[in-house]
Amino acid sequence: MPEPIDVVEALLFASETPVEADRIQEVLDLGSAGEARELVRVLSGRLDGQGRALQIIEVGGGYRLVTRPEVAPWLVKLARSRTRSRLSRSSLETLAIVAYRQPVSRPDIDAVRGVNSEAVLDNLLDRRMIRIAGRKDSPGRPFLYETTRDFLVAFGLRDLTDLPKVEGELVIPETPADATSSDAPADTTESTPATDPHQQDPGAGGPELAPRG
Amino acid sequence: MTGPALSPETESQGITVHVESFVGPLDLLLHLCRTNEVDLANLPIRTITEQYLAHLESVQFQDLESAGAFMVMAATLIYLKSKLLLPVDPDAPPEVLDEEGELLRQELADRLREYARIKALGTWLGEREAEQALLYGRTVAELPLPEDVPLEDLSVHLLQRAMLRLIEEQKRQAPRQVEPNPLSVLERMGEIIELLRHTWSLLFSSVAGAERVRTEWVVTLLALLELVRLGQARVHQAELFGDIVIESGPTTDTAPSLPSEDIVAQENEPTSGDSAHA
Repeated sequence: MPEPIDVVEALLFASETPVEADRIQEVLDLGSAGEARELVRVLSGRLDGQGRALQIIEVGGGYRLVTRPEVAPWLVKLARSRTRSRLSRSSLETLAIVAYRQPVSRPDIDAVRGVNSEAVLDNLLDRRMIRIAGRKDSPGRPFLYETTRDFLVAFGLRDLTDLPKVEGELVIPETPADATSSDAPADTTESTPATDPHQQDPGAGGPELAPRG
Repeated sequence: MTGPALSPETESQGITVHVESFVGPLDLLLHLCRTNEVDLANLPIRTITEQYLAHLESVQFQDLESAGAFMVMAATLIYLKSKLLLPVDPDAPPEVLDEEGELLRQELADRLREYARIKALGTWLGEREAEQALLYGRTVAELPLPEDVPLEDLSVHLLQRAMLRLIEEQKRQAPRQVEPNPLSVLERMGEIIELLRHTWSLLFSSVAGAERVRTEWVVTLLALLELVRLGQARVHQAELFGDIVIESGPTTDTAPSLPSEDIVAQENEPTSGDSAHA
């Protein structure tokens, strides 16, 4: 009879998506999600302590069993391929806008970027980094975009509060500011004094962002 | 509001070599502000405009649309600069704009500030992505599919895209070939008889066509065999694979006529069943 902790390891090994604590609790018939979290914690400690090639990371609201970065070179060799295809700068910037402003429409994204983002958004949709969240009640009823769980997984984020906090308009909607764990990149603050009270509008598409006629 | 201390020396340095490409006009503008160490709140329109226009010549546009975006920004900057060149109040210090111009500059500065944040966040995301790319986990489960598939990450939009892709695919397909009506053995028989009325000898190739279209040849051969069976034509071939010579048959004395009704009925079907008669 396997121990529950071994079952947890098996679950994480076999699943393609992050496994939530609730799900572990459900599958193992545990008393609470806290028990599940504790099992994961112990398992994670065991993997770390034994210096195994695998580790548990917390992303997208669940747990994943992944390889350690140190063994990546051999995996690349095994795959007989270069590293994975990465997102372009345009894609990353667009993704950043969607992540912080979601749900956000293309005209609003275009206004921030200063260029048309249609192709970039299509690419991000194809890669399941974003999805359609609905339509905006503005002329043309444009689609509203939001990030997906795949986005969180791809960037190793537990949830949106893992995104760095930024001053100004780019506050995460409906998220307490103290929940953010990471520091803003130094770049963001150097040119943006935090003493700009008029910048605190968190609206999804403030009038100042209207595309220039 | 006066522009920040940008010495003429800095301005005259002019050429900035850049290897990275700019993803938009704001990206370029931000780059110029950074290299000039300009405070975005006091955007020096004159300097920035000149440098922007200078850079514009070296920017490689990805497409017409992005080129347009760069041009719109250029137009805005030139507009602002023109306002500076024509001060309303001659006593006003340089780099002072009228109300509209000041609003425009403010808006530009706001957008630049916003874009600077986004750019930094994009960089941050890029670093995260690079880190995560080193971690390999399962992406396709070996587990049997659940009985009910959760549709959480699907949307109507995906359906629409699938449909569009289908339509695109259909468009790309070559136009459909419209087959002409199949040749009729009966018609070909009539043609041969008609020809034999005016001449007493024919070459098979002249009837079937020199292009050697397979169906033409098959139909002609079947028609010919039918005529021979009916005694309306004679054929002979001098050598193997040689051309077949068609001559009026023994019955050409009597007026050549179209085959009788029973043949007509059978021959209305195209070539498929004809060999049985021949």
